[in-house]
Amino acid sequence: MNANPAPLTFSETAMAAPAKRPSPAGKLFAIAAVMAVFSAAVAIGANAFWLSAATSAVALSLSVIGLAVLYGQLGLVSLCQFALVGVGGWVTLRIGHAYHPPFEVSMLAGGIVAALVGLVFGIPALRLRGLYLALVTLMLAGAFQTIISAWGFPDGGPGFLGRADGAGRAMLARPALAEGPVPYFLYVSFFATIGFIIVQWHKYAKPGRAWALIRKGETVAIASGVNVLTYKAWAFALSGFFAGIAGALLAGNVGQLDGRAFSAFESLNLFALTIVGGSFHWYGALIAGLLLRAVPALLTDLGIDGYVTIGIFGVALFHALATAPAGIAGQIAGLVARLKPQARGGNRA
Amino acid sequence: MLKTLKVMAAGLALSLLTAMSAHAAASCGDGSGKAASGEPIVIGAITGKTGPDDFSNSTKAAKAYFDCLNANGGIKGRPIKYVVEDDQWNPETAAQLGAKIVNDEKAVLMVGNSSYVECGANAEFYKKSGIYVIAGVGVPRECFFAENYAPTNAGPRVSMLGAMGYALDTLNAKSVACIGPNIPNVGTWSCEGVALLAKEKGFKADVILMDPGSADATSVILQAAASKPDVIVLGMSKGVAVPLLTAAEEQGLNQSITFLSAASAYDLSVPATIGPGWDGKFFVNMEFNDLEADTPDNKNWLAVMDEYGQASDPRDTFAQAGYLAARIAEKALMTLDPNNITRETASAAVRQVKDFKSDIFCAPWYFGDGQPRHNANSTTRMAVSEGGKWKVVSDCAPSPDPELKDIRAFESSMK
Amino acid sequence: MNLLPFLISGLGIGAVYALSGVGLVILYRSTGVLNFAFGAIGALGAHVAWQLLQWQQPLALAILAAVLVATAVSFLYGRVFAPMLSHRDTVVRAVGTVAPALFLIALMGVIWGELPRRLQFPTDQMFLALFGVRLTYTRLVALVLAILMVVAITLLLNRTRLGLDMRALANDRDLSAILGVRILHTETAAWVITGIFAGLAGLLLADLVRLQGTFLTFLVIPAIAAAILGQLRSLTITAIAGLSVGVAEAVLTPLAWISPYRAAAPFVIALAAVMILGSTSRAALRDR
Repeated sequence: MNANPAPLTFSETAMAAPAKRPSPAGKLFAIAAVMAVFSAAVAIGANAFWLSAATSAVALSLSVIGLAVLYGQLGLVSLCQFALVGVGGWVTLRIGHAYHPPFEVSMLAGGIVAALVGLVFGIPALRLRGLYLALVTLMLAGAFQTIISAWGFPDGGPGFLGRADGAGRAMLARPALAEGPVPYFLYVSFFATIGFIIVQWHKYAKPGRAWALIRKGETVAIASGVNVLTYKAWAFALSGFFAGIAGALLAGNVGQLDGRAFSAFESLNLFALTIVGGSFHWYGALIAGLLLRAVPALLTDLGIDGYVTIGIFGVALFHALATAPAGIAGQIAGLVARLKPQARGGNRA
Repeated sequence: MLKTLKVMAAGLALSLLTAMSAHAAASCGDGSGKAASGEPIVIGAITGKTGPDDFSNSTKAAKAYFDCLNANGGIKGRPIKYVVEDDQWNPETAAQLGAKIVNDEKAVLMVGNSSYVECGANAEFYKKSGIYVIAGVGVPRECFFAENYAPTNAGPRVSMLGAMGYALDTLNAKSVACIGPNIPNVGTWSCEGVALLAKEKGFKADVILMDPGSADATSVILQAAASKPDVIVLGMSKGVAVPLLTAAEEQGLNQSITFLSAASAYDLSVPATIGPGWDGKFFVNMEFNDLEADTPDNKNWLAVMDEYGQASDPRDTFAQAGYLAARIAEKALMTLDPNNITRETASAAVRQVKDFKSDIFCAPWYFGDGQPRHNANSTTRMAVSEGGKWKVVSDCAPSPDPELKDIRAFESSMK
Repeated sequence: MNLLPFLISGLGIGAVYALSGVGLVILYRSTGVLNFAFGAIGALGAHVAWQLLQWQQPLALAILAAVLVATAVSFLYGRVFAPMLSHRDTVVRAVGTVAPALFLIALMGVIWGELPRRLQFPTDQMFLALFGVRLTYTRLVALVLAILMVVAITLLLNRTRLGLDMRALANDRDLSAILGVRILHTETAAWVITGIFAGLAGLLLADLVRLQGTFLTFLVIPAIAAAILGQLRSLTITAIAGLSVGVAEAVLTPLAWISPYRAAAPFVIALAAVMILGSTSRAALRDR
C-alpha cells in the first residue's frame, strides 16, 4: 500500500481498513472457486492411487476445519477429533448396513451423532481451558481407542455391533450418483467445500463475533450480552458434526473402516497437523488434510521406507511449529498480502 | 606346526566344499541361466511392513524367486516385474495401494501378499476388478472367505485348531483356555473354533480375548490359569505371545500347564527369546515344513534366498509362504501363450491350478475353481521349543476345524 | 472370584505408571512442557540396553547406558529444541514433543525393527509368593524405585537451590525471571531429571511389558492419566494415582463383561476425577 501514493477511493478504504479482506460474499465465492480448480486438477490429473489418497485427504480436511473452529476461533484444544471421525464412521456404517438408506442419510446420521458426542465431550470445556482441557480430551480419545478396538466397525453383521463374524463382510455402498473413484472424489470435494463455506460464514456472522468475544475473555463476553454457554456448545457441536461427516466420507471411500486406525495418537497427530496447516485460514484445513494423507502417499510412492516416512514427518512437524506460528496457511496468506499491493501498483503504472 | 596348519586348511576346504554342495544351486524357471528379455509381466503385492509387526518377509522371498526366474528364462522369455507396496497396517493405505497396483500398474496377478488389513479392505475390489491373488500369508478371516483370494498358509484358526488337535490326541488334554486378540475376525474367529470343537468333542474350553495393546500380560495369564486348564492355546502374534509366556514363567505356570500356539509364534527367534524354562513345555503349530528341513524344495527355497535374496532377509515361515506363492504363480503362467498374458488369461490359469506339489506343504495345493472360498492348506505339523530351537514332533495331520467341512467336501470331490 | 492375585500383578505396571507420571509432572511444573515423547525416550534407552546385553556386556553397564542415552536425548531436546517454542502457548509446546516421539519411533524402527524382544533382568527369576501369586523382584524393584524417586525429587525440591528455582518457575514464570532465577539453567535441569525418569521407566516397561518401540511410546498416554489425577502438580498424588490406575486395570481382568475394556481404566478414572474435582482445582482454571 505504501508503494501506491494515489488517493484511495471510498470503497478501497472500506476494504483496506478491516484487515485487507474482500467482502464476505466474495471470500465465500473464492473458497468455491479455489476448491473447484483444485478438484478439477486432481480429477483430471490423478491416477487411481492419487485419487484415492486425495479423497481421504479432502475428507479429513473436513475434520480439520472443525478442529480449526475450536482452536482458531475459541482457542480451545480438542485432542479427540479423530475419535469423533471414528464415531461418525461407525454410525454411518451401522445405519448404512442396517437399513440401506441412501448414502446421504447414513452420512447425515453419522454427522449428527458425532455432533452430539462432540457436545458431550465438550462439557469439560465449560470449566476447563488450555492444556488441562487438551489432556481431558486426550483421555476421551484413549477411552474411545479401547472401545473401538474391541468393537470394530460394523460390516453388515447382526446385533448392535453389526459385526459379520460368521458370514462375509459387506462393504458400504457409495452414493448412487458417485460410484466411481472420480465422481466420488468430486462428491467428497463438494461436501468439503460446503463445510469450508459454512465455517467461513460463521466467522463473518454473529457466532464468529461471539466466539471472538469469548476468546478475549468470558467476562467480556458475558458483559457484552453473549450467551457463552450456547456459543461454546455450538462450536463443539459444529466441530463434531464435521468430524462425523469426514468419518462418513472416509467410510464411503474404502467401504469400511478398521478399529486399529483410530488410536489416541492419531487424534494428537491430527491436532498437530491442524496447527502446521494453519487454523486461522480455511485453506489451512485443506493443507492439513493433504499433509495427513497425500504427503505419506507421496513418500510411499517414492518407495521410501515406512519408518523413514514417520521420521521425516516428525522433523517436518517440528520445523513447521518452530518457524510458522500461523501455520503454512499463515505463510501463504502473508505471501499473498505482500504480493498484492505490488501487483496493484503495477496495474496502476 | 606347519603340518597341523595344512591339515586344518584341508579340513576347512573340505568343510567349505560340503557346505557348498549342501547349498545346491537355486533352481527356477527353465534353469537355462539365460536372462529373460521380453516385455515384462506385471505382478503386484501388498505387504504389511511398517507397523506392529513386519510381514514383508513373504514378498522378499517371492521377489527372490522372481529374480531367479527372470535370470532363468522368465515366463517363456518374458521377465516378471514385481511391484511390492507396504500398506503400513492401515486399511485405507491398503485400498489406495490396491487401486495403484490394479488400475495404475495394471498388474495381471497378485502374488505373495501378506498383510493383516489388506484382505478386509480389498477383497471386494479384487473381485470387481477380476484380479486373482495367490497370497503368502493370510491372517484375518476375510483372507480365507474371498472368491479371488487364495493364501498358501493355513490361517490362524486352522493353525490354532491344528495345535488343539495335537493337545487332544497326543497331550491328552481334557480342558483348555484359548487366549486370542480381541480383534474381530482374528482372535474371536480362532477361539470360537476351539469352543466349537469343544462342544463337538465334549471337552472344557474357556475363551479369553485380550486387547493386544494392553500392557498387563500377567493379569491375562492369571485369568487363563484361574480355571486350571490342562493346556493354554495362544492365538497371538509373536510380539504379544512372548510377553505372555514370560509372564506365565514368572508365575511358575510353565511347570503346571502346557502352552501351545498357532503358527503366529513359530519364528526361529522365539525359543531362544523365551529361554530354557520352556523346553518341552511350549508347542507351536507349523503351517509349512521345518525351516531347516533337508528336503529338495525346502533346500531350493534356501538356495534361492542365498543367491537372489539379501543376507538380512529372514528365512522364516513367511518367506516359505512367499516362495511357494511365487512358484504357484510361475506354474500357472507357464501354461499360457507368452504373447497372450492378460489379467483374464492369468486369472483363468490360476483358477486351474491343482495338485501343486512341494515338500514344504503337507498336502498338494490347489486353487479350487468355482469355490466361494479357499483354504487349500489345512494339514499341519507341530514343533516344540527345546534348547533354543524348534524340534518337529509330529507328522502332518489334518486340522480338526469343524468349519473346514466345505473344503474337505470339495477336496474329496476332486479326487 | 479372588481379586488378590490381580491386585498384586497390577502393582508392577502401576509402579511404572507412577514413575512415568512423576517424571511428566516434574517437567511440566518446571518448564510448562508436557512431554509426549517420554515413552519414546524410555523405549530408546531400553533398546540400547537390549543391544548391549546382546553384545554380552554386563547388566550394570546396559542399565547405565539406557539411562544415560535417555537423559542425553531428553537434554538435547530440552536444551536445543524446546526453547524454540518457549514463547508459544502450552498446547503448542506439548504438541512440539510429538515430533521427537515420531523421530524416535522412526529411529528405533529402522535400527531394531519390530521383532519380539525380551529385556530380562536376573530379578525376573526371584520372587515372593503371596496369595498364590508370585511377586517378582522386578516388580518390587519397580515399586521401591518409584517410592525412592518421589522421595528424592521431593527432597530436591524442598532442600536445594535448584528445587527452589523449580518451584519458583512453577508458581510464576515471569516473576521468577525478574527475581533472577536462571530460567534456562533450571529448565535444562528439569529436562535432565525427566530423562532419568524416562530411562528407568523404559527399562522397567521393556521387562514387564514388551520391548517394542511404538508400543512403549504410546504407553505415555496412561501415564498422562496419572499426571492428570495429580492435577499436574502434586508428585505424591501422581505417584499414588499411577499405582492405583495400574492396579485398577489389573483387578478388572476377571470381570468378563468389562475385561475387554479394561485398558480404558486409566482414562475413565482420570475423566471421572476431573468431572468431580476438576471445577474446584487450581490447575483446571489456570492456563499457563
